Amino acid sequence: MRAIEPRRYVVYVAFLLILAFFAATLSDDGFLSEDNLLNIVRQTTPVTVMAVAVVFVLSAGEIDLSLGSVVALSALVTAEVMKTQSAVLAVAAGLGVGLATGAVNGLFVTLLRLPSFLVTLASLGIVAGLARTITDLRSVAVDDQSFIDIFGSGDVGPIPSLAFWALGAVVLGHFVFRHKRFGAHVVATGDDAGAARATGIRVDRVRFAVLVLSGAAAALAGILYTGRLEAATYTLGEQDLVTVIAAVVIGGTRLFGGEGSVVGALIGSLIMGTLTNGLILWGLSTSEQLIAQGGLLLLAISLTLREPRRELA
Amino acid sequence: MVGALALASASLACGSAKQETDAAAPIRSSKSLGTTHGPNGEPATPTSALTLTPGEVAKVRAGHYTAALVWHESADFTTAVTAGVRDEFDRLGIEVVAETSANFDAAKQKADIETVEAKRPSVMLTLPVDPVVTASAYKAAARRTKIVLLSSVPQGMKQGRDYVDLVTDDLFQMGKRAADALAAAIGDEGTVGYFFHDANHYVTNQRDQAFLKTITGSYPKIRVAVKRGIADPNEAQDEANAVLVKDRDLSGVYVMFAQPPGEGVLAALRANGNTKTKLVTLDLDEPLALDMAKGGNTVALIADKAYELGRAMAVSGAYGLLDKDAPAFVVAPAMTITRSNLVEGYHESLHRDPPASVMKALGK
Repeated sequence: MRAIEPRRYVVYVAFLLILAFFAATLSDDGFLSEDNLLNIVRQTTPVTVMAVAVVFVLSAGEIDLSLGSVVALSALVTAEVMKTQSAVLAVAAGLGVGLATGAVNGLFVTLLRLPSFLVTLASLGIVAGLARTITDLRSVAVDDQSFIDIFGSGDVGPIPSLAFWALGAVVLGHFVFRHKRFGAHVVATGDDAGAARATGIRVDRVRFAVLVLSGAAAALAGILYTGRLEAATYTLGEQDLVTVIAAVVIGGTRLFGGEGSVVGALIGSLIMGTLTNGLILWGLSTSEQLIAQGGLLLLAISLTLREPRRELA
Repeated sequence: MVGALALASASLACGSAKQETDAAAPIRSSKSLGTTHGPNGEPATPTSALTLTPGEVAKVRAGHYTAALVWHESADFTTAVTAGVRDEFDRLGIEVVAETSANFDAAKQKADIETVEAKRPSVMLTLPVDPVVTASAYKAAARRTKIVLLSSVPQGMKQGRDYVDLVTDDLFQMGKRAADALAAAIGDEGTVGYFFHDANHYVTNQRDQAFLKTITGSYPKIRVAVKRGIADPNEAQDEANAVLVKDRDLSGVYVMFAQPPGEGVLAALRANGNTKTKLVTLDLDEPLALDMAKGGNTVALIADKAYELGRAMAVSGAYGLLDKDAPAFVVAPAMTITRSNLVEGYHESLHRDPPASVMKALGK
């Protein structure tokens, strides 16, 4: 029987403490209003979707630096295709961008035995360049109301449609990661690739799959941004990589593979979004927000990632 | 004041300044060949025309209003605009309850707008990062908050209905002043390179076109030998390198704005060992100001009065709260800053002292 590890649950406690702190200090400033809480969910959904995939990537001992640029290119391709074609085709084209980028990343990593850090660094440049080129740096507006409702500002009853995307990604990701063989193979690959190979796990196939998954998630995030903003531009996702990785690592996924938590990544994403939201509502200046965000993040990391003391033998 | 600045002389520099600086000619103000107009052709109203009566100030103060500042970035410019806003809001009894910076990320700016709206500010002063991508957020906010815009109007928004007014620089004057300053620096004759912003951007397009119109229309002995569009400001250095390798004898260059393209072109000049070509660009920026203070390639920086922009935005916010008719398009004056008025330029534009490095280079 597995012993309960209190460290696993610290991230949830940290999230509740942050919520309680802002609820207590900002009770008169709209923090607890339904609109504001739903805004946090809306604002964090693209990061949450990417964070779910990055749990798989990091757990497998890989990294995908091209995430942000795929967000931008898939958003622009979706918006551009929608000018002349149906929204369904546009979404398929946008997702195709992510799948293709992920597949190319995966092929270079597995066939040429190159580190994913360098491969995805290179593809980041190529994809970002393409995103700047296809519309000549111009933003593209989207006016297909069905698309906007489904991927952006629509609601189902009181729940924003974006929440369903976040929830769907987390539920599916958690199920596969914890309860399907693929999840176990991902963790085994990240923990010790040699040992995983010896037990019959097709390590290269796992590595390829997590990078394709990551590309697809980034593309979906780009589509969700397009729906939410009713437009796409080449700067979308540019600053998301660090936020996504921070959310995933705060949530209990090891940066160097072998351990991960999809639900933790969701909580990590909500922590990042809540911090940004609460600090703005506090009325801090931009510089003060950055300092406070860094300080609180350090506190959250200290609580959730502190290595347990090892007893001397 | 404007006239005096236009005629401001880049007078003799002292100490270690180079000979070229010492020999700088006075800047002649050429005949204005155009005017600044709004995005929909609105005539410009100077910021000085925005005024509140004592009764109006008292009424605003009694309202205990709140404000949110939703900026595009954090920089010297926004710091100075914010200082102007806060000083005027202090006078008007308006409390700033939230301030954000989007770091040029349109998605973040949309989130920022939604977040500050939770505090239900009475007025929002903002510079939209992207007029297309942020439009939906501004339209939603406009339903309950008075919006004052800086430099850019989100797509589909209408003055009077969706926003109080648009405040910006006197864009034509900025371009014209750049042309006059560059012409003076090269003795009204020679060849110049024109690095313009190759993007559909209302502010930079007007300034660039004003420069081109003035340099070609008012200075017959100056030839624009190179026209190079820069779509990505971060790539200005590479673009300039390509130009300077071929055209080493350019008398001067105009660059669309200081950071990063102005710095990039200066770096390209230095990399090519070029100490002769004069550089004029827009906005105050430490590396370029330092180069100017040391008598380098940079001979003039054309700056807006950022503090004044902030003050005017704050007064515009009061117009909105009072339901007082505001002019659609308001402009703050521009100023030409050379080595001789660098300290005053920092004070007037950014409302602060120049950086220590610049003061040291000036021997102050």
